[in-house]
Amino acid sequence: MKLNGSIIKSIAINTFRETVRDKLLYSLLGFAVLTIAASLLAGSVSLGQDARVIQNFGITALLVFLLIITIFIGTQLVYREVERKTIYLTLSKPLTRESFYLGKYIGLCLTIAVCALVMGVVFLAVLRWKTGQFSTPVIWATSFVILEAWLLTAVGLLFSSFTSALASAVYTFGIVLIGHSATTIWILSQKSQGILRYVLEMVYYLFPNLEKFNLRNEIVYNFQPDLQQVLLVVAYFIAYTAAVLLAGLAIFRRDEF
Amino acid sequence: MSFKQLQFERISWLLPIALLLFSYVAQINYDVWRRYSAPKIKTTYNLYIEPQPLSAESSKAISFGAKEFVADLYWLKLIQYYGGGDPNGKYRKLAELFTTITDLSPKFTAAYQTGLLILPGEGFVNEAIALGEKGIKNLPDRWEMPYYTGIVYHIYKKDYLTAGRYFENAAKLPNAPENAKYLAAIYYNKGDQRQTAYALFKTVYDGTRDSFIKERTAKYLAHLEGIFLLDAKIAEFKQRYNRLPKTLNELISTKLLDGIPVSPLGLTYQYDAENGKIIETK
Repeated sequence: MKLNGSIIKSIAINTFRETVRDKLLYSLLGFAVLTIAASLLAGSVSLGQDARVIQNFGITALLVFLLIITIFIGTQLVYREVERKTIYLTLSKPLTRESFYLGKYIGLCLTIAVCALVMGVVFLAVLRWKTGQFSTPVIWATSFVILEAWLLTAVGLLFSSFTSALASAVYTFGIVLIGHSATTIWILSQKSQGILRYVLEMVYYLFPNLEKFNLRNEIVYNFQPDLQQVLLVVAYFIAYTAAVLLAGLAIFRRDEF
Repeated sequence: MSFKQLQFERISWLLPIALLLFSYVAQINYDVWRRYSAPKIKTTYNLYIEPQPLSAESSKAISFGAKEFVADLYWLKLIQYYGGGDPNGKYRKLAELFTTITDLSPKFTAAYQTGLLILPGEGFVNEAIALGEKGIKNLPDRWEMPYYTGIVYHIYKKDYLTAGRYFENAAKLPNAPENAKYLAAIYYNKGDQRQTAYALFKTVYDGTRDSFIKERTAKYLAHLEGIFLLDAKIAEFKQRYNRLPKTLNELISTKLLDGIPVSPLGLTYQYDAENGKIIETK
C-alpha cells in the first residue's frame, strides 16, 4: 500500500469542499437545525418535563440527520466520480488508489464533523436557553454520534466501491438498523438454541455494534462515561473502521471502471 | 403551432386551479364526514381514540437504541390521552402506557409520580402499587416512590399499617420531607401500632424545627401517653382482681386512677370491655 500524506490531504480538502458545496447538505442541515429547535414545542406540552424532552428529541434529531448526511452524501462520492468519469482524470495523476480512497474518507469525515458541530452548537444553545445549564453529557453523546457516523462512512464507502449509490445507501441503512439492534440480537441469541444461536452470535460480532456509541439514553441522567469506557469505544471504532476501510480498499484496488 | 396545442396552452393554467378547487371540495366533505359521522368508523370510539402501546420488548426493539426518545413519545401520547378525556371515562390503556414508559425509561421519576397520582383515581389501584414498587426498585434513592405508594395504600386500600411502613421508608431517604416520619407515625397509630407510632413521634418531636409539626407531635405524644397510662392501669386491675374492668370508671372507683385522662387531640378514650383495649373515637 503506497500512501502519500500530502496527496491524501489535498484530496480530503477537495472532498470537503465538494461536499460543503452540495445543496443537499444545506437543506439537510437546515432541517436538522429546525427539528432541534422544534423540540422546544414538544417540550412545552410535556407536563413540566421540558428539559428531558428537549434533550431526547434534540439528540435523536442530531443522530438521524447526521446519519442521513452520512448515508446520502457518503455513498454518492466515489460512485459519482466513477459515473462522471472524473476518476480517470484523477487516477491518471501520480497518485495511488489507496491515497484517493483514504482522502475521500477523511474529507467526508471532516464534513460530518463540521455538520455535527453546527447541530451540536444549536442543540446546546437551545438547551442552555431553556434550562440555563450547560450540558457536558450532550457533548459526550454528540462525540460518540460522530464516531458512529465516521464508522458508517467507511461502511458506505465500502458499499459504494462495488455497487450503485442507491443500493449502497440502502445497504448502509440496513447496517444502521442491524447495528442499533445489537442488544436485541444478543438477547435473542442467548434465548435461542442450536444453530440459530451461532448464527445470531455471528451476526452480533460481524456487524458493527452501534449501540456501543449510544450514550443518548443517559444524557437526561447527567451520565458521564468513565475513561475506560471511552478508550474501549475508541479502540473498537479504530479497529472496526480500519478493517472496513481495508476491505473497501481491497475491492477498490481491483475495480475496473 | 397547431390549433390543439394553442387551445391547451390557453387553458393549461386553469388545470391546477381546477384541481386545487377539487381538493378543497374533497377536504371540506371529509371534514364534515369526520365531524358529524363518527359512527361510520367501524371500530368502537374507544379503540379508535385509544393509544395502543407496544410491549416493552417490542418498543425497545423498534427504538433502535433510542429508548428514552420512544419513552418520551409515549409520555406525550399519555398526556394527550389523559388530557383529551375518554368519552367512556375508562382510560383502559392508562396503566399499560405507564408500564411501557417506565420499562423503556426505568429512571423517569415524573412518570412514576404521575402514575401514582392518577392511576388509583381511575380504578387502577393495584397497577399503581405495582408501579410504585417498580419505582422503589429502580429509583432506590427517591423518597417520592415509597411516599406516593404509601398515599395509595392509605386512601385506596385503607391499609394504614402498610402505608405507615412506606412512609417510614420514605423518611429514611435523602431530601425526604420532614412530615414523612410524622405521617408514618400517624399511620402506625391508626394501624394500632402505638409503640412504634410513639417512638416515631418522639424522634419527630426531637428533630423538627417546624413549630406546627412540633406542636401537633406534642399533642400526639400526650394522647398516646394517655392510652399507655390507661393500658397500664387496666393491666394492674387485671393482676389485682383477676378479671378485666367492666368500665373505665371502675379504675377510678378502685383508686387506681384519679380521673380519665383527656386527649389533647380532642378524641375520646373508649374502652372495649371484651378484650380490655382502649379505642380512640371522635
